Order: sequence, then structure tokens, then C-alpha cells
Amino acid sequence: MFRSIGAKSRLRPVAAAAILGMTALGLSACGSSGSSAADEGSATSGNVTWWGWTPQPSGAERYIAAFNKEYPDIKVTYKQLTIDGWNAALKPALASSSGPDIYDINPGVRMDDFSSFAADLTPAMAKSLGSDWKSKVSPIGVDGLTTKSGKLAAISVGSTYSGSLWTNKNLFDQYHLTPPKTVDEWVNVCGVFKKNGIKCFVQGAAQVAFNRDTLQAISNSIEPGVWNKASTGDTKWTNPTIVKALTTWKRLFADGIMQDGALGVQQYPDANNEFMSGKSAMVMMGTWYMQYATTAGMTPAISAAGVANPKPFPIVPIPFPAASGAGSSDFALSGDSDYGLAVNNKSKVKAAATTFATWLGTSKAGQQEVANVLNDIPALKGIAPNWDTIPMTDRSAQQPSVQKLIDQAATVTEPRLGLVSSDLSTAFGVASTTVAEGKASPEQAAQTLQSSAEAAGLKFK
Amino acid sequence: MAKTSVEPALVVHSSQQGSVGGLGRRKRNRLRQRGLPWILPALIVSMGLIFYGMGYTGYVSTLKWNGTDPDPLSVGAQNYVHAVQDPVVWQAIYHTVVYFIVTFFIQTALGVVFAVLLHSKVKLGVIYKIIIFVPVVLAPSIMAPVFRQVYGADGQFNWLLQHLGLGSLAQPWLAQSSTSLAVIISIHIWEWTGLTFVLYYAAMSQIDPEILEAARIDGAGNIRSLISIILPGVRGTTVALAMLSAISALKTFDVPWLVTIGGPNYATEFLGTLIYRVSIPESNVGYGAALSIILLVLALGMAILLQVRGRDKDGVS
Repeated sequence: MFRSIGAKSRLRPVAAAAILGMTALGLSACGSSGSSAADEGSATSGNVTWWGWTPQPSGAERYIAAFNKEYPDIKVTYKQLTIDGWNAALKPALASSSGPDIYDINPGVRMDDFSSFAADLTPAMAKSLGSDWKSKVSPIGVDGLTTKSGKLAAISVGSTYSGSLWTNKNLFDQYHLTPPKTVDEWVNVCGVFKKNGIKCFVQGAAQVAFNRDTLQAISNSIEPGVWNKASTGDTKWTNPTIVKALTTWKRLFADGIMQDGALGVQQYPDANNEFMSGKSAMVMMGTWYMQYATTAGMTPAISAAGVANPKPFPIVPIPFPAASGAGSSDFALSGDSDYGLAVNNKSKVKAAATTFATWLGTSKAGQQEVANVLNDIPALKGIAPNWDTIPMTDRSAQQPSVQKLIDQAATVTEPRLGLVSSDLSTAFGVASTTVAEGKASPEQAAQTLQSSAEAAGLKFK
Repeated sequence: MAKTSVEPALVVHSSQQGSVGGLGRRKRNRLRQRGLPWILPALIVSMGLIFYGMGYTGYVSTLKWNGTDPDPLSVGAQNYVHAVQDPVVWQAIYHTVVYFIVTFFIQTALGVVFAVLLHSKVKLGVIYKIIIFVPVVLAPSIMAPVFRQVYGADGQFNWLLQHLGLGSLAQPWLAQSSTSLAVIISIHIWEWTGLTFVLYYAAMSQIDPEILEAARIDGAGNIRSLISIILPGVRGTTVALAMLSAISALKTFDVPWLVTIGGPNYATEFLGTLIYRVSIPESNVGYGAALSIILLVLALGMAILLQVRGRDKDGVS
């Protein structure tokens, strides 16, 4: 003990030096937080990590391979995370210094949560496309990824739209059925499938975020635009069209359209696997499902659904059956940027990361790859899929439908997620499940939506 | 640890100096202060990881914050007021109580029965032990998709009912508020009965066989021996299991989240799933922190209550 006291006095200068050293390190770290060109690294070389919930790894590999033809010295490593676990994984990663150099971001709640970590990519867009860059890309991909202060938090890679159903053409052909245009026709189609032991329509209603897609599609089939007006406060959520949409939603359960036990099924992986394994004839999915119209996209998806020796089958998009009227052959869609690539402000290879994000979102070569993978509708105007290079299971049946979906998506202005706050998102879940289970009437559920929107601060006219 | 390392040194130091009183006290204080650097690393780790975490959570619970905004808004006790007024919180607490009571009693009954049976030298006893214990080591994330399939509307459980002539009972178990909690409870019992069994099996090994033999000679049958000898003999294990089950029920997250996402209509919502839901997907970190503090208080209260009750019955004051 005596020795330790003596040792302590000798240790004191050492401890003081250590504290000074650590303080100096801390100060130097603070001093280096402001970025400069040298801090951002080289724009043409480096190791870049990219985290996303989309695209599928096979698609990302194609993008990266095409990118490396132009930039062979930038190595991009893609890591796909589940959409459910996205917030839980990304928040701590970005808050620390171990986050990815590039990460996916999409309009709505995730912009609120993650845009503060992202670099402003406006200069990169101007450098790549010129000062009039906004006129060269899809506006739906810019608005939702720009913060209130005007920072472009991410470069949109492409857009995605909901409001469509996807059908298994083989099953419809086998039972000599035509895709339904109205909910009444849908009931009849489902009756035939059920008689033959086939599930008609599958939706994972336990994963409530997708219920909002279906409700919005139903609402737009009744009166286009009312859903959007309720989202912006131009009409109330208790509008008769919304109430009718909730009534129709209830009908999907009551009239045997929705599969039994839908409230206990998750959209991913359960509903997706049901459709991919050929057990269900229809599924509610948006344009992100176009990738499975290709043999390259569908084969691994069937395999992932647990099917041995996967054999791709033709899937075809159809407009959501109308809840009123005779139905339409046109799609009533809503959408936003599927995802944009945000560059992490803390990245040590910011310049290389920006090079990749800019290349994928604005270059013709990058956007052509995006178009050809068919996961998204390209952000850059004037780019279309090169159908000759895209193998499909039944081109004559699939290509016209998918092309029509792409063409009509290009005209859409109604956002899918951009106006949805987290409170309202929760309210959609409550409204959809309580109505489906018969615990609330459509009118009560509409009132829940209205109350939640008001509580979230939305002002109604 | 600090005390034991300092005291002997004090004795040596005082006797060598031959002084007492004020000088000794001053030196003692100085030595106590000098002991601080030795315990500092452990103190920092424990304080940092546990108490700082709790304190920080308590601070965050007074904020309206999404977890990333650099300018969170201070709201005082508003999150706690919201929690008290939130019907989903009360629903989650109710589910926790039901979950604890049902899982504890069923697991205890099954654990005791299995332990007693396997103490009676049945053939292939080792294999039965393995079968009973295997679910404990299987990860819930692996089993969750299996249970979603088993209890699905067209799952194996309904198939079994139909083949047993009980087809009228078949239903979408996970899709109904009325049945989904029972499914979650059944999965928990399946998963954790093995642990209860192992603990009871070990506890029963400690009971003196002579006492059991004496009871037999006195004419006690199996049931009487179980009630009067074995159960009192494993009372400590039962109290420990009750405490573990209560805390486990309060912390329940994995199975309800992975199998039902807390639904439908919050029918399988627990405090753990609710904290995750509001903190992560809904980005309401302040409210989630307030719920975490409530959970901490409930868990501590429950542990203290069970510990005190257990001591009272053991005659320990």
C-alpha cells in the first residue's frame, strides 16, 4: 500500500499527460468534423459500403458491376437489411461512426428520421446534370427527398407505385377466368378458385403498412384524389369515399376475397411466399413486383419461397378492382421515390460514395440498368427498359401489361408515403385491423384516422 | 472489494506510526481516497452500462424526440401522463399478468410432473430429457415462422384437429384477438418447460431419499409424497422460478413480435413489444423511454415482492 501511494505520485504526470492527450484527440476530432475536399477522399477510388432494404442483392450486384465498368477503383459492398429491421439497424449505425457510406432513404417517416445524417447532394446533381437538373429527373423523386430547409438528402434511383394487383396467369388460364375489374367480379373469381382448392387473393394484413396501400387503392377506385386530399387536409378522413373504402376493405374479408386468417399473416415473407409458390392466384403488390416478371428475378424468389426446382410462371399486373362502377382498365396509382441514395455525412469516402450515388441516379448507363432490373421506374426522364435484353416467362402476355403500368406510373402525382406521419401510419393499422375484425365500424375507423391526423398537427380546411 | 483491500493496510499503517485519533482518521480517509483509482474501472463499467443507461433513459423519457433530431423538445412528465392514459399500455400490462399466471402455473405443473416421472427410472429417460429440453436451446427467430405456419388458417394445428374429428374447432388462431394470446402463451410454455423441468429435476435430487422412504413406510402414496415431501422440498426453486417468470413476462418481446407483431389489434401486445413499436417503427423515442422506465419499476417491484413473500414463508425475517 505504501508502495502504491508512492507509485501514485509518479503516475500523476502520466495520467495528466493521458488526459491531455485524450482531450487533444477529442478536440482534433471536433476540429475535423467540418468536411473539406481532402476529408472526403478520392472521387474515383475507395471502398464504399451501401445499406438498403431494396434492391434485391441480385439487382444491386448488376448495378455495381455496371458501375465498375466506369469506375473500377471504387469497390461498392451492398448489404440488404429487412424493411422491418431497418430503423433498428440504421439509427445506431448512423449515430455512431460505424454507419454505411451510402444508405437508402425514402419519403415520409424515414426522411424525418434519417435526413439529418445525409449530405446535401444538390451540388452533385447540378454537376452531373447541369443547373436545370430538376427538369431532367422525375419530380416525384425530388420533392419527397428534399428537406424543409431545401437540402437534397438523397438522389432518387427510381420510383415505385402501389395500387395494382399481380396475378398468376397460369392459374387464371387453368380455370378459364379473366382478371376481375370490379369487386363483385372479384368475389365470383374467388369463388371459383376456392372451389378448386386455390387461394384467391393473399395479403399479409398483420403487416399493417401494406393495408394502407390497399385502402388507398380502393379509395382511388371509388373517387380518385380523395385520399390525397385527406392526406393534405383538403378534406376530412371521414369523407364518404374513405368510409366506403373502409366498408369495401371489410367486404374483402367478409365475402371471401381475402385469404382466411389474413390478420395473422405478414406480407413479407408469408404472403409473398404464398404467391411465389403458386398457392395463391393474386397478391397486392406495387411496381416493385415488376422485377419478378423477369425470369432472372423470379427464379430466386420462388426458390426463396421454399420451392425446390423453381420454375418461373408468368405474373401480370392488373388495376385494383373497382369498389363502385364498372371498373377501369387503367391503373389508379400512388407513388414516390422508391428509394434514394443518401451519402452519410460521417463517411470517410464521401467523394467516392457521392460518385456512386450520382452515377446510379443520374447517368444514362446507371439508369438503364435500373430500368432493366425492373425493380423501379427510373428517376431520369427518357429511360425505358430495353425489353430485348430482359428475359420474361411469357413475353406476349407480360410485356404489354408491365409497359402500360410503367407508362401510367409516369403520370402519377399522388404520393404514397410522402404525406404519412408515424401517428397516421399507426392509425391506418388500427383502422384497418379493427374494421377487418369487426371491432369497429367503417365510420368509427374513419373517425380514428381523422383524430390521429389532427393529433399529428394536420390542419383541415 | 475496496473495503477488504483497504482495511488490512490501515491496521499496518496505524500500528507502525503508533498514532490514534485525528491523525489516524485523516490517514484512513486519505487511503480510502487513494483506493478509488483501483475500483474506478469496474465502477465506470457498471455505472456506465447500467446506471448511466437507466439515468439517460429517464432523461429521454422527458423528451419528445424521434431519436435522431438534434433538437429534442422537453415535455416534462407528459410521456408518463400519456402512458397512464393510453389504453394499449393497460392492455399490455393485462396481457403480461395473464401471461405470467398461465405460463407459470402450467410450466410449474409440467416441470414437476416431468421431473418426478424421470426420477422414477423410466426406460429411455435420457432421450425424454433431451426431447423436453431441446426447445429451450432453439432460437425464437428460427421457430417463429414455423409457429406462424402451424397456427395459420390452413396450418398443421387445424389439420390435426380435423383429423381428430374436431374440425369444428379449427380457426385462424393467429388472426383473431380472442385466440392469438393463447397461441403466444402455448409457444412460451413449449419453449420454457424444459428449463423448469431441469431445475426441478436438480432440486428433487437434493431431497433425502430416506425421507421419502420413511413416508412410504408410513403409508404415503405418490400424491401424498408429492404434496407433503417433494413440493415443500423444492420450494426455493418454485420461488426462484416465479421471480424469473414474472420478470420474463414483463420483458417478453421475441415470440409475440416475431409471430404476431403484437397483433391483431394489440391482442398480443406486451410492454416489450410496445416499447419497440413506439421507439423504432414509430420513432417516438421519448415515449418509448417512459414506457421503459415504467417497465423497470414494475420489474423491480415484482422481484422485491416475490422475494419478500418467499422469505416470509420460509420464516426468514
